[in-house]
Amino acid sequence: MTWWCSAQDTAWEWVWQPYIGVWLLVASMLLGYAAALKRLGPAEADPPATRREVTSYLLGVLVLWIAADWPVGPLAAGYLVSVHTAQFLLFTMAVPPLLIHGMPQWLLRRMIRPSWAGRVARFLSRPLIAFAVFNVVLLATHLPVVVDGLAGSQLGSFFKDMLWLFAGLVFWWQVLGPLPELQPLSYPGRILFLLLNVFIPTVPAAFLTFADYPIYAVYELAPPLGWISARDDQQLAGIIMKIVGGFIIFGTASVLFFRWYVREEREEAA
Amino acid sequence: MTPILRKAALAAALATVALSVASCGGDSPRPGELHGAVLPAPLPKADFTLTNTAGEPFAFREETQGYVTLLFFGYTSCPDICPVHMANIAAVLRKLPPQTASRVKVVMVTVDPERDTPERLRTWLNAFDPSFVGLTGSTEEVNGILRSLMLPPAVKQGEGETDYLMGHAAQVIAFTTDDRAHVVYPSGTRQVDWAHDLPLLVEADWRSE
Repeated sequence: MTWWCSAQDTAWEWVWQPYIGVWLLVASMLLGYAAALKRLGPAEADPPATRREVTSYLLGVLVLWIAADWPVGPLAAGYLVSVHTAQFLLFTMAVPPLLIHGMPQWLLRRMIRPSWAGRVARFLSRPLIAFAVFNVVLLATHLPVVVDGLAGSQLGSFFKDMLWLFAGLVFWWQVLGPLPELQPLSYPGRILFLLLNVFIPTVPAAFLTFADYPIYAVYELAPPLGWISARDDQQLAGIIMKIVGGFIIFGTASVLFFRWYVREEREEAA
Repeated sequence: MTPILRKAALAAALATVALSVASCGGDSPRPGELHGAVLPAPLPKADFTLTNTAGEPFAFREETQGYVTLLFFGYTSCPDICPVHMANIAAVLRKLPPQTASRVKVVMVTVDPERDTPERLRTWLNAFDPSFVGLTGSTEEVNGILRSLMLPPAVKQGEGETDYLMGHAAQVIAFTTDDRAHVVYPSGTRQVDWAHDLPLLVEADWRSE
């Protein structure tokens, strides 16, 4: 019984496999959210969770489930580096904003109420810290020695996936974090933060796209799927990293710019 | 200096010169320079004749004379090792300079003659590189060749009529222009290893060994 997706030595088969760890994670996220909404509840002054927030959170958990479970999880762990890159983007660029957007402010305040949690939240909310956390995780988890070293172990793959999720949450908090007490960035600050994060992903993307030979042993030596070579798979990974990742970042920056513009217009009109 | 000491000094000087001539010639890669597994003793090139995918006899020793020849025993239904070896060698040959790549021949002998017809073997090899040579022979012939190369015979795994695996030696044997194999490449050999070693194998003058 495998509990988390890791690289296997066997040929890929389109036969469903259960991953108990993924189900437990998804179930605990859903139950935790439901219990928090029902049992803790907002204070009198706080609005209850909106339908939009609940939908966003559920979508976030759904995307996480898709990213971690069969077939994306095992394909990413040991067969295709392009799927590994797509999984990275799901864990860092899709799941975190949906989860953050799905958390009512009162729930976030409850979560950082313990003094240690507040200190951690304030530390991670600093833009430079968030920038460093995200980019160090990005670069470290794409080093060949790390990818090849962790891929064969369920614990290693789990650790890497959770590290991606954590880095994504820290990153997106700068953009979507709603709590005024954690001193969120202004609109221009958020846009600048997003744009600064376009450059460093270019490094692994360039290595993936332009390397003469496959850089990860785990994908190069994996039983082939038959329809894509290791080199083409790696180039596709580089393109996904650069283009899809860039599209998400530039798209979000554009939305923020538009909102900023609308707010300024309104303020001027008032 | 006594005559005995003089003779000893002369002998030492001659030995030093001989060693330095042998090593600074740069003729053959030094142990550790190659990424493949260097054999403790070179293996003579196997002398056999099997049938190629055009249905013609292929005398291995004569047909590969003067080339670096990568000999592999595999089968087209192999799910992992065989396609990875073939894909990696093909990818590297495409990247090497033509004057190097053209001096390398890749020969795969099927260990599954029941399923690997010449047509099937040709189609499978063409997916990697049309220049790869595919050879078929009877199980006895192939196992005889394997034994001559000190490799274990191929073993059928599974009871199915057509749905089974073959247990087989996973290494690629690299015969050089001296008609000997000095190095083999086990399962797990990467493209960077081939890219590093093939030019050395092509350029080396193994006669100095």
